[in-house]
Amino acid sequence: MKKIIIVFKKELKDTLRDRRTIIFMVALPLLVFPVLISLASGLIISKAREAQEKTLQIGLLTYGNASGFSRMLLDRKDVALHENLDQEQGITDVKQGDLDALIVFDKKFDRKIEALSKGSVKLYTKVTEEGEIERQRVLKLLREFEDTLLAKRFQEMDLDESIIETIDIEEQNLATAKERLAEAVGGFLPYLFIIFCFMGSMYPAIDLAAGEKERGTLETLLTSPVDRFQILMGKFGVVVLTGIFSALVAIFGLYIGIRRMTEIPPELLNTIMSILEVKSILILLSLLLPLSIFFAGILLSLSIYARSYKEAQSIISPLMFVVIIPAFIGLLPGFELTMTTALAPILNVSLATKAIIAETISLPQLLTVYLSLIMFAVISIYLCSKIYGRESAIFR
Amino acid sequence: MIVVKDLWKSFKLTRQQRKEKGNISHDGKVDAVAGISFTCQPGRIFTLIGPNGAGKTTTLRMIATLLKPDSGSVTVSGFDTVKQPLKVKSKLGFLTGTTKLYERLTASELVRYYADLQGMDPSKFEKRKTELFTLLDMHDFASWRISKLSSGMRQKVSIARTIIHDPEVVVFDEPTVGLDVITAKNIIDLIRKCKDEGKTIIFSTHIMGEVSLLSDDMALIHRGKLLYDGTYKDFLSQMRAESLEEEFIRLIQEVRS
Repeated sequence: MKKIIIVFKKELKDTLRDRRTIIFMVALPLLVFPVLISLASGLIISKAREAQEKTLQIGLLTYGNASGFSRMLLDRKDVALHENLDQEQGITDVKQGDLDALIVFDKKFDRKIEALSKGSVKLYTKVTEEGEIERQRVLKLLREFEDTLLAKRFQEMDLDESIIETIDIEEQNLATAKERLAEAVGGFLPYLFIIFCFMGSMYPAIDLAAGEKERGTLETLLTSPVDRFQILMGKFGVVVLTGIFSALVAIFGLYIGIRRMTEIPPELLNTIMSILEVKSILILLSLLLPLSIFFAGILLSLSIYARSYKEAQSIISPLMFVVIIPAFIGLLPGFELTMTTALAPILNVSLATKAIIAETISLPQLLTVYLSLIMFAVISIYLCSKIYGRESAIFR
Repeated sequence: MIVVKDLWKSFKLTRQQRKEKGNISHDGKVDAVAGISFTCQPGRIFTLIGPNGAGKTTTLRMIATLLKPDSGSVTVSGFDTVKQPLKVKSKLGFLTGTTKLYERLTASELVRYYADLQGMDPSKFEKRKTELFTLLDMHDFASWRISKLSSGMRQKVSIARTIIHDPEVVVFDEPTVGLDVITAKNIIDLIRKCKDEGKTIIFSTHIMGEVSLLSDDMALIHRGKLLYDGTYKDFLSQMRAESLEEEFIRLIQEVRS
């Protein structure tokens, strides 16, 4: 054990003095989320505000109908009305983005309304990712007009408006705030720490195995009176530690990013903060430890096999997809932790984290996840020690 | 003392190597070391010479426990390299010309690391470190990171690292390759110092000047087989060519033809 600690301490010192590792282990996970969140939220909020506050450019063709609607629009300061156009020109203007919407009333609209039937209105918009807010604003205007027509009808018939309501629905959503949040964004948290755990382990693993081989320091280390397994365990410890540390730094970065958001509703903020309480963090950490061991085993095995730093990078880079795919599946709605999914490494961490956030995880499920992760971690250590013991891998 | 008995080691060739060398054997393997035996005595310098690819490094790696022999045995200070590798390693210092150092550690930290791995007592380490750092004139750059050191300084750190635990046996694998004259002289001085201290020294090279300068005993190896094993004096007396270099070439060509 003493020799493992000696190797561990040296490798840790060596790793912490490597700028590249520090960038991937600390700087990147710490900065990426505050920067991303403030950039994205700032951009989204300003875009939404712009769409909400801008003057709507509305083309209107009434053919002498719906005079009330034109008056209503003319009274509004947030609407610029364009009435002197034909339908084709109006459609072209919408397509080109000169108009936010074109509203075309049927030529018989007024007559139909008077006859107590439905008058038809055509609404032309161009809604992609953008433009939805403008569309909603136009629809709201039409609904307002519909309400005035309806009110007039009821008045003429001397009826109470409530007669059209036959059922009074009182809906109560029994999902807790945490459950709703887990379903909406819960997959993101494990995705985040799985990726950063992997990335945080990747560079130290390459540096401590393939890097050592390439730099020509391996031979002298192996002629020291230390068992190869002890050397491996010393290196392993550092890779595991950097993986866990990197994931924690990423979560901390996310925490800072959320705290810096000014537009977040206090209720949502409180729910998010309650997820980041000690108990949840401890459970997440307990998942992170075997996951990080599993990653370390795989990464070190491949790095030991590689001849050089570059070769190790080219072998390991595609592995990133193998990690991202199950982590991504955890993001998808409808995927839940079951006794089967609890056995699949990475995916089980992703789904278990969601369940931990929602506080719906059961003890047997959690134990199955642990069992699976520990089993895979042991296999990866075994694989790694086998490769480290092979002359053909060490002296390739 | 190092005792090598009927040592064999073969390597599987890559597809590319097989193409280049032709079929070496049925299973695609080549004998890097083919049944060699020799003994290195304490207080004497044993020089292992041979052309590139002769099997020198493979032999030294087996002595240093880095490779396991296919058959035969090596004992270092009475310990078997396969059965008691940790005992062997505690008696051994290993220095090669291609050995590099941990760039991000300081000279002091690096030497300390190897001393710790050797299980040296801290007080014994400090005494030995002071002695070696004075001998090699290393105090001025002891706290500098290796990445900041010149190649001469690095070589001094390598030497200190190799002998910090005062090993009984020191293995040098082409230690002066690529070094300038002054740095190479440091190595030559170290080898002599080790000899004076009664250590067992095995030293591989293909620089004939170093052979004549240092050898007490020598072995000539080619294609994994020994062409000569005896004292340097005897080798000189049996020489048919005019110089050591010419004799070396003559012997190799004789085998090739």
